[in-house]
Amino acid sequence: MTVTETHCPYCALQCGIALTPEIPRVRLEPTEFPVNRGGLCAKGWTAAELLDHSDRLLTPLVRKDPADRTSPLREATWDEAYERIVTAIRRSRQEYGPDSVGAFGGGGLTNEKAYTLGKFVRVALGSASIDYNGRFCMSSAATAGNRSLGVDRGLPFPLEDLAGAKTVLLVGANPADAMPPSMQYLDAGRAEGARHIVVDPRRTATAAGAYRHLQPLPGTDLALANGLLHIAVREGLLDEQYIRDRTTGFDAVRAAVASYWPERVERMTGVSEADLRETVRLLATERPSMILTARGAEQHSNGTDTAQAYLNLALALGLVGRPNSGYGTITGQGNGQGGREHGQKADQLPGYRRLDDPAARAHVAAVWGIDPDELPRPGVSAYEMLDRLGTDGGVRVLLVLASNMAVSAPHAGHVIDRLRALDLLVVSDIFLSETAALADVVLPTAQFAEEEGTMTNLEGRVIRRRMALPPPPDVRTDLQFLAGLADRLGRGKFFSDDPRTVFDELRRASAGGIADYSGITYERIEAEQGVFWPCPAEDHPGTPRLFTDTFPTPDGRARFIRVEHRDPHEMPDREYPYVLTTGRNMQQYQSGNQTRRVAALTVSLPEPRVELHPDLGRRLGVADSDMVELRTRRGKAQFRARFNPGIRPDTVFAPFHWGGDQAVNLLTDPALDRHSKMPAFKACAVAICPAPHQEGTT
Amino acid sequence: MQSTQRLVVIGNGMAGARTVEEILARGGDFTITMFGDEPYGNYNRIMLSNLLAGVEDEAGIFLNDLSWYADNGITLHVGTRIEKIDRTHKVVIATDGTRTPYDKLIIATGSSSWTPPIKGIHNPKRGFHQGVFAFRTLDDTRGMIRYARDHERAVVIGGGLLGLEAARGLQNHVSHVTLLHAMGHLMNMQLDERAGAMLKASVEGKLGVDVIVDAMTTEILGKDRVTGVKLADGTVIDCDVVVVAAGIRPNTQVAADSGLTVERGIVVDDQMRADGEDDIYVVGECAQHRGELYGLVAPLWDQAKVLADHVTGRNAAAAYTGSKLSTKLKVAGIDVAAMGLKEPETDADEVIVYSEPRKGIYKQVIIRDGLLVGATLVGDNRKAAALIQAFDQGQALPEERAEMLFDIGGPAGEVKPEDMPDDAQVCNCNGVSKGAICGVVNAGCKTVNGVMDKTRAGKGCGTCKPLVQRIVEWAAGGEVEEDPAASWYVPGVPMPKPELMAAIRQYGLRSVSSVFAKLVPGGEEDAKSKMGLASLLKMMWGEDYVDERDSRFINDRVHANIQRDGTFSVVPQMKGGVTTPAQLRRIAEVAEKYAVPMVKLTGGQRIDLLGIPKETLPKIWADLDMPSGYAYAKSFRTVKTCVGSDYCRFGVGDSTALGIALEERFQGIEGPGKMKLAVTGCPRNCAEAYVKDLGVVAIDGGRWEIYVGGAAGAHIRKGDLLATVDSADEVITLTGRFLQYYRENANWLERTYAFVPRLGIDRVRAVVVDDSDGIAAELDAAMDASVGAYRDPWKERAEPVTPGQFRTSLPLVVLPQVPVRVSGGVA
Repeated sequence: MTVTETHCPYCALQCGIALTPEIPRVRLEPTEFPVNRGGLCAKGWTAAELLDHSDRLLTPLVRKDPADRTSPLREATWDEAYERIVTAIRRSRQEYGPDSVGAFGGGGLTNEKAYTLGKFVRVALGSASIDYNGRFCMSSAATAGNRSLGVDRGLPFPLEDLAGAKTVLLVGANPADAMPPSMQYLDAGRAEGARHIVVDPRRTATAAGAYRHLQPLPGTDLALANGLLHIAVREGLLDEQYIRDRTTGFDAVRAAVASYWPERVERMTGVSEADLRETVRLLATERPSMILTARGAEQHSNGTDTAQAYLNLALALGLVGRPNSGYGTITGQGNGQGGREHGQKADQLPGYRRLDDPAARAHVAAVWGIDPDELPRPGVSAYEMLDRLGTDGGVRVLLVLASNMAVSAPHAGHVIDRLRALDLLVVSDIFLSETAALADVVLPTAQFAEEEGTMTNLEGRVIRRRMALPPPPDVRTDLQFLAGLADRLGRGKFFSDDPRTVFDELRRASAGGIADYSGITYERIEAEQGVFWPCPAEDHPGTPRLFTDTFPTPDGRARFIRVEHRDPHEMPDREYPYVLTTGRNMQQYQSGNQTRRVAALTVSLPEPRVELHPDLGRRLGVADSDMVELRTRRGKAQFRARFNPGIRPDTVFAPFHWGGDQAVNLLTDPALDRHSKMPAFKACAVAICPAPHQEGTT
Repeated sequence: MQSTQRLVVIGNGMAGARTVEEILARGGDFTITMFGDEPYGNYNRIMLSNLLAGVEDEAGIFLNDLSWYADNGITLHVGTRIEKIDRTHKVVIATDGTRTPYDKLIIATGSSSWTPPIKGIHNPKRGFHQGVFAFRTLDDTRGMIRYARDHERAVVIGGGLLGLEAARGLQNHVSHVTLLHAMGHLMNMQLDERAGAMLKASVEGKLGVDVIVDAMTTEILGKDRVTGVKLADGTVIDCDVVVVAAGIRPNTQVAADSGLTVERGIVVDDQMRADGEDDIYVVGECAQHRGELYGLVAPLWDQAKVLADHVTGRNAAAAYTGSKLSTKLKVAGIDVAAMGLKEPETDADEVIVYSEPRKGIYKQVIIRDGLLVGATLVGDNRKAAALIQAFDQGQALPEERAEMLFDIGGPAGEVKPEDMPDDAQVCNCNGVSKGAICGVVNAGCKTVNGVMDKTRAGKGCGTCKPLVQRIVEWAAGGEVEEDPAASWYVPGVPMPKPELMAAIRQYGLRSVSSVFAKLVPGGEEDAKSKMGLASLLKMMWGEDYVDERDSRFINDRVHANIQRDGTFSVVPQMKGGVTTPAQLRRIAEVAEKYAVPMVKLTGGQRIDLLGIPKETLPKIWADLDMPSGYAYAKSFRTVKTCVGSDYCRFGVGDSTALGIALEERFQGIEGPGKMKLAVTGCPRNCAEAYVKDLGVVAIDGGRWEIYVGGAAGAHIRKGDLLATVDSADEVITLTGRFLQYYRENANWLERTYAFVPRLGIDRVRAVVVDDSDGIAAELDAAMDASVGAYRDPWKERAEPVTPGQFRTSLPLVVLPQVPVRVSGGVA
């Protein structure tokens, strides 16, 4: 009985787990890994059920009639699947050019796979068309971090530092539901008298346990931050020395926040003047203090600026780079951090290099053994790519790895239409997801416990994913799939399907970049319980804490950037009088493709429920548990109501883990942030009424 | 560039400058010229009252300083007034004759302070009479502050928002402020009569401003400068400053002179264009939209957005349809918030009112068709943020209307397990219900940790652990088994004290490190456990204990008490609080020789030398040549005594002699906690024996009472009577036996005041006095061994046990020296 220590397949915590193959099922137990320290959430405890699930894809599938996507999927050999893919790629390149073949990746891929996918598109396909679902997740905070701090590492400190902070401002973050084992650090702080202030339109489990819960109108988080900074300026709470010594650009920010006086911000946000004052005073005086943002603040059409506003506040109070202090963003997906560093992004090369930087192109091309001029230019962002599928100049043949955009993309109905317009859709997954069900070719891929590789968790800690058992016979890893496809396209010599070989190449490609992995080896990761990047040499200890002395900007200083409140792209009006926001349930993960198949999780939460205030329910004439219809300019969907007296009466919340008719993203607004191209998932205008069929029966 | 249009803005106040910001934010392609009356950039007019009140400085009120205009390529003419607009030629003409052409024109002339017709208010030469001020501009405010500095009594004319803020601000500068309001109640634009009356009471009571309503000011008195004001009813109020805050009037002259439609303000359409004009926009206080004039910032900025959308072509359909009004008074200590209607308008309007005049609290909400259409809060603003959101967003309102006025309910109390249904989810992370926990308990698992391991409850985020514990306790019906760790003597060794001691004896473990090595699986040392183990080993092994210095607290390592500044205090032994001239002389000499900063009598009847640097400790001890008073360790400390029967008129027993005997015998004995003793010669308790770890009280007939478990520190407890005995020898025996029993059975750091109640005095008495367990002889023998092992730790000075033992390792910061108080004349 061999015990394999590896990590949970789900969120960015990457809790340590130990897997023991047993009959009838692999035994899964938490380990004392420094992230979870023996804790595990319901999703993690039941993750082994995915391995032998009866829905598991065990062979490639293709359409019975290759020309008819409505014909049923049938089992096929890998050769047959490859044949269809290669034929379509060749034809598309010939007719529409190399950019007509593209790939869409995911934040769940290992570093090795994310790296290989980026390289595959540029080197094997010669295409600019690649982006990934992290664009819907971390892009706003990432953009803000890069602009302001010179680097995007979600938490610039280990999770354990949270326990030592006396004041923590959590903006649009709900770790109690989204990543429960992380709460032990916040709870430890609370036990020591730390005060946590949670900003959320909904009284989440995180908010309920906090010292204060601020409930702003969705889309006003930026105004809130500027309002806090306004008070800090007025009350002399700034760290002037820090601003002088370690930053640039504060004057413009000071001028900007002058027009965010407390009475105005109270009216814009709904957060009382007293709460505003107390919050900023605690942050400034009850130190160490931290500001953490998550998707609630970032998934807006002004998400980058909103993250920046909180960064401005953290810098002005002198928090960044001090012990148990600073600004961080809580990454969501399992490899959301590593996945955004090594070339899955439309404009990016490994090591967080920029595709439009000649030096970066030269370095990476040298590692890859190609001419820098062979590298394509930057492509378009995720939603922009999806929006143009099958159109002139758009992608015609799309490879999808570790993503389920039929559920997770905004304006999902439109995205499904675009997917249908493709000449060929190839989806690699472990189950037949909503997106895979639309595909021409479906490829069965190995699961977390069946492969080797590395992940980079929300702390920037590079960790090892280890194989506890081999994949089923006809199931391949994505590395094998991509190497095989490259081979058939005549580019096989550039690719390996061995994770360690790929990682060593990734180390060279990232060397000298912002996210420098060159000093990290599989052996070190195992010996040191993970290594924090940047780690530029094998004798370099890694960097658990960034910014202690300097910032990785050209002048070594952090940059303040002036940001202004803007109304959400879509404001409530007569026709759509309420605000719809979306988020997570504790029992489900992402598009639910995995967790919806786990019985224990589905039993405790069988369907999505829209949360609304009882007062709103009374106005609408619906009772708790009635079906209601939500309608936006993009579509409509029906959900069972859950009355929640802890949500704003002008706001409704729906989880995004379900597909089909109950995909809340049928309703969401694809308006994009102008910097990060993040869609406005967290605020759009909605109309609500009792579900029509119910009216007939009562 | 040809395509670039010329945009001219008349007015550089909060509306004009904001509109330009909005235009720039939309990437409007204009060459922009602005004309401002005042010689500044754009400042925040509503902050002028903060400036007057001294809570804001001038730098803090600027929204756009002059560099902003330059940075954005805007030509700003300050101090230049536009006299006329030539609409035909699309040119504006300044008073100095300069002509500036425009393609698009924005009029943002704002408004001016309105001056009521009052006799003597003007001075033909200088505008206002000397001492009279408007309250509208930065210059007004500066002038007011300057003038008020050497004047005493101010009158404010006008009891609206601005007048109230002016009155409060002036209090910063003058000794007396009177507020005159021509209407029947304060803030009559926003408040109903009752709210206004409540506000008046607060302004008078809390701020100390005199308020006179229905006060029509008719005349300003004073020849060269203001000396008073006269009201219509003949009342004269003496004053030397008058501030006029009686309202504002839109600045419409230039528009009217140029042929635009002007009623009360400059008439605009929904796109903020002047009536019938395509290229002239109007924004701000000077604009009259759908018959309304606005004097608050929020509507102005709403207008600015629409104007910018339209003039830049960003959104040709943009339309301003009016603003909802809300205001808050910015006067510290006086909370007023008002929005929408101040009074119901129809019988169908629903009105909810709460009034508590004694506290100056008044709350009112007005509801129409399920929407909040008006709200007033006086004296308690806590619901202002919630109400304004309900008002602005048209939120659904609570059925319990009172929830709109008060925070009702609050967080739920602690959940009782018996009140929870079986399927209630306890651990959200792992979806564990109360029923599941109870099932495991009923199946025989009765420790909290065991239940958590089996159910996974509390194994996710851990937040539910307290609730899990309560449920386990409830389900086990009092049979819950203690978490083994709770009974461990120290956290790092998994054994309760008796087992630990048995194991120590069995294996002959004489050092702290050997205990870890032998008794901890894996042998891991735990820093938090070392001191407790050291104490226990010393107690058990006496002189056979193998001392390892790092197991001790700094105090024990250097045998002195570390002080706040990193120096140490030294307390020589003074048994029973009795000393001799020779001893005192020696202490005095040492104190002088080493310039000891402070010499102090302790509460334990000893002399404390404070402020000794660590490296001086051995020398001081050498010179003192006296035993340690053990003022530092977890050990037997001292025996406090009264003067006893030899000298005291009341004394019935020789407490002094007994105290000395006790201290002689038990000096330096270590234990789980401090042991402070006292002997007092009569029940008057001069030596405070009732509140000691062990106290002995002489009573009539030569008998002694022994009390144990008393305390008079942070925790105060009277000791329990252990026994009444006939002789001093019996006192010594029982004291030794009790202390030994305590040493062997108390948890680390558990003082007797916790130990005795934990076991119960009956149990303690049974063991110590009645020998119920048959261990009395063992206890006595163990104590004898400890007594025999005693070494005066100060003897270490000649040969430090470790080289660094007495070297300074802590930063020494100088404390303010407390002078030695020379006694004499002190009662």
